[in-house]
Amino acid sequence: MSENKIHAPLHGKELILAILRWILIIFFAVYTLFPLIWLILSSLKTNFEFQAMSPFALPKVPQWQNYVNALKVAGLGRMLLNSVIVGLAATAVNVIIASMGAYCISRFRFKGRERIFTLFTAGILVPLNALMVPYFVIINKLGLYNTYGGMILLYCAIGIPMSTFLIRGLMDSVPMELEEAAYIDGCGFFGRFFYLILPLSRTGIVTAATFEFLTCWNEFVFANLIVSSEKLRTVQVGIRYFTNQFSTDYVSMYAAIVISIIPSILGYILFQEQIIAGMTSGAVKG
Amino acid sequence: MKLERSDRGPLLAFLLPAIIMMVVFFVIPVIYVVAVSFLKWNGISAPIVRGFRNYLLLYKDKAFARSILNNVIWALVAGFIQVPLAMVMAIILSRKPKGWKFFRTVYFFPQVISGIALATLWRAIYSADTGLLNGLLRAIGLGDAARDWLGTIETAFPAVLIYWVFYIGYYMVIMMADITTIDTSYYEAAVIDGASDFQQAIYITIPLIKRTSLLTCITLASVMGLRQFEQVYMLTNGGPANTTSTIVLYMYKKMQDSNYGLASASAVILIIVGVIFIVTIRKLFEGRGDKAAQRKAIKKARRALK
Amino acid sequence: MKKTIALLLTLVMVFGLVASMPAYADDEIVINFPSIWVGTDSKAAYMSQLIENFNAENAGAIKVVVEEQTDYQAYRDKIRTTITTGSAPDICILDTTFDIKAYAESGKFMDLTPYLDEGWGNDFTDGAFDAWSVDGKVSILPFESAVFTPIYNAKLLAECGWDHFPATYDEFFQMCKDVKAKGFNAMGQMAGDNAWSSMLWYSLIAEAIGGKDVYADGLDNPAFVEAAKVLKEMYSYTFDGAVSAAASDVNGHFLARDTVVYLNGPWWIANFYKEDNAVDGVLLADDCEVAVNPTYEGGLGEGGLVTTVQGFLAAAKQSDPAKEEAVVKFLKYITDPQHVSELALSSGAMFFVKYTPSPDTSLISQKVTEVANNAAFTVLHVNGAFPTAFSTEFPAALSALVLGQVDEQGFVDQLQTAIELAE
Repeated sequence: MSENKIHAPLHGKELILAILRWILIIFFAVYTLFPLIWLILSSLKTNFEFQAMSPFALPKVPQWQNYVNALKVAGLGRMLLNSVIVGLAATAVNVIIASMGAYCISRFRFKGRERIFTLFTAGILVPLNALMVPYFVIINKLGLYNTYGGMILLYCAIGIPMSTFLIRGLMDSVPMELEEAAYIDGCGFFGRFFYLILPLSRTGIVTAATFEFLTCWNEFVFANLIVSSEKLRTVQVGIRYFTNQFSTDYVSMYAAIVISIIPSILGYILFQEQIIAGMTSGAVKG
Repeated sequence: MKLERSDRGPLLAFLLPAIIMMVVFFVIPVIYVVAVSFLKWNGISAPIVRGFRNYLLLYKDKAFARSILNNVIWALVAGFIQVPLAMVMAIILSRKPKGWKFFRTVYFFPQVISGIALATLWRAIYSADTGLLNGLLRAIGLGDAARDWLGTIETAFPAVLIYWVFYIGYYMVIMMADITTIDTSYYEAAVIDGASDFQQAIYITIPLIKRTSLLTCITLASVMGLRQFEQVYMLTNGGPANTTSTIVLYMYKKMQDSNYGLASASAVILIIVGVIFIVTIRKLFEGRGDKAAQRKAIKKARRALK
Repeated sequence: MKKTIALLLTLVMVFGLVASMPAYADDEIVINFPSIWVGTDSKAAYMSQLIENFNAENAGAIKVVVEEQTDYQAYRDKIRTTITTGSAPDICILDTTFDIKAYAESGKFMDLTPYLDEGWGNDFTDGAFDAWSVDGKVSILPFESAVFTPIYNAKLLAECGWDHFPATYDEFFQMCKDVKAKGFNAMGQMAGDNAWSSMLWYSLIAEAIGGKDVYADGLDNPAFVEAAKVLKEMYSYTFDGAVSAAASDVNGHFLARDTVVYLNGPWWIANFYKEDNAVDGVLLADDCEVAVNPTYEGGLGEGGLVTTVQGFLAAAKQSDPAKEEAVVKFLKYITDPQHVSELALSSGAMFFVKYTPSPDTSLISQKVTEVANNAAFTVLHVNGAFPTAFSTEFPAALSALVLGQVDEQGFVDQLQTAIELAE
């Protein structure tokens, strides 16, 4: 690259870059907002409008009744609460266990280290649908069929490979010298983990937690398989309340979906604000 | 870090919970799946040992070959188109343009919207008669190009793949979080040297996230591509003529047929294909990738800038 | 802040681990019944009332606990998993017709023969058990039935210059041409999703060609190749994009009054009467008429009717005789002719139980029942007559056929291969 160009940047070029940047930003914003807007509009239609008219037409009269249906008929409130309980608990346990595991794999050299990590990575690839029978047996044998505990344990476990993988990835970027310095200062195993590595790999932990929580929130197959009581049903089961053997009440289902994504969006915004915000100060890279 | 003798106990205690979970919920169930893959079993009657016959049947089944191909394409597109796109957006947003917080949140929305809703929306967009895409094409005078996007052999798979490539929110957020941890002094120095935003991205940001969040995202995206099921299931159910099928969808259909042997064999193949794929990706990124090498790369870059 | 979060999480976890099912009185027999007849299913309201009444009548002695299942595929997955692992629920609903014999042979279900022989069996339609019993023993009860006969928008057909529904398939395609010329669609087809509507048409055409014994030689009967040809031709007279269409598209087009013929089971009849689906105040039912499957030139199907078993009732084997008695008592209760009559009235569904239809039954329901009663013989829907693998492969084979990837013989071969793969 020639020096002249760098020292005398062309205004035209910068302008083009700025325009390009904003085109990209707006494109992605429209692209990602569109489904949400469409979903909300569809949730305000009648089933006749939704099925027999253009899917992109506006509802003639907004059908707020769909939301009443979703809340009343499907018992969505209770299901949301269950999803929050199961999601938070499973995520908390999952992230703790995974960070501990990732710490060992990331920071220490011991025999079989890479083999253990390969095992975790392979775990991400296992198609969980194939494990319906073994999981059902395991949960039953542990006496956890139809309990919060069963769901929390299963969700926590199926997320372990992914969380370990994500946390290790970002723990690796914490400079070894920092830890060595702490070690020389007499900081022990636990001390280094809790006061040094854990705070410095917050990014990885937050990423893993977000992923794990979303997995719990969106999981349906096992939520249906290992629970039978209505009191323990999670929100994904609620969304499917409006399906039956022969047809689907789409508009009420969409209303249920809209209700079900509000907590995740709010939670996401708060989470990001709280945890990522403080991160810029603790620059560690380099 | 060298392992001190006194650290062995804590190390084991830290590793054990994760290992136990892995053994109970992955190793043992996968052994079960491998065992079933050698059987002919409908889940009701007594199983019959079939040896490698299920694998032979998979080898001969064109639909399965197509499923593997689709998954590999999917994983490549995810890793090498979707993630780079996400990286570009992560770099742009981490410069904190106006409203960046808003955009960061908005880009994440598709991750929290139920898959059923996304699939119905895209079915509607691609629909032959009332579809948005065909409407758009007709409006700009390209009516001849309008078609049943999900019902044509040539376009079905690209259509399923393309809409999804632009949902980059998740990877973008991971990389953004990583970029914010980069020491700002690097950029300050670069600005003094007169580097443009573009050059800063190429010589500082990308080298610094390459082996951490970028590699993580590429691996993650590829895994997601290999495990792809829900979107295809709801959008096309593998059709037309199995052209959009994936391994997990194939497996799921065999389970519906109560053909546990074949379903398990395809699960085993998926794990094998996946491990090969991921090991290859990691090999590509390996080399002297430690911090010293990164710092050296940055120094080199700075020299080039001067 | 951190401590509060930690405390909260601990509480949530402890709460989660401790929470368990409420305890029941010791001497009360609890019957668990994961049911699909809940939620928005047309049988839901009456079923739930029926079960409530049963529980009230047997208060303190028997309690039926319904596990609501609304997603049918997930329900199937769950039931199959529970049966495989030997923990089948006390009562469940099965619908994979072809697997019923295997289930019956597995010995995992209660033998109901002694109870049926005591007179209960007389409540069921004649020969209802013939196809599902093993060694003369009945362990799985056919309960909900369905008949498939075309329903058409007579007003729309009249606009196309037709005052009657075609009696033969030759005439049918004449009609298709006239309908298409007017800019309407003759019927809805779908090769996307599970290809449900097209599979129904395939059954009707195969019946028209092959008649009573169409399944005698499996897929080797040339009727299936011939039927494929007819089905493919129908794709020229349906709406755009049928290859990727799903049931909601087929329903949507018929509701939009741009499609003449509709084919589905009796459960859909309620939609003809819904205010929501009325256009300019006219109910869909007011425009519609019930037809019979046209005959095919040289075919053997005249007077035949395509039917299926929509739901079987099965009860897991019990070791406790008192519980067995309780389960049977409940099964007798829900299959009681009086109750079934009301269930039929409230839902529009049909059953393998002899009952007097209520005079309040909707006109379309009555006409469909009339078609069913007039049938000279019945033939199963293909998805019940062939292994599940047939139905799973059907959308892929059909889209390949319609898009010209395979010919009619290739279509049938593809289905045959799928069946063999599962054997």
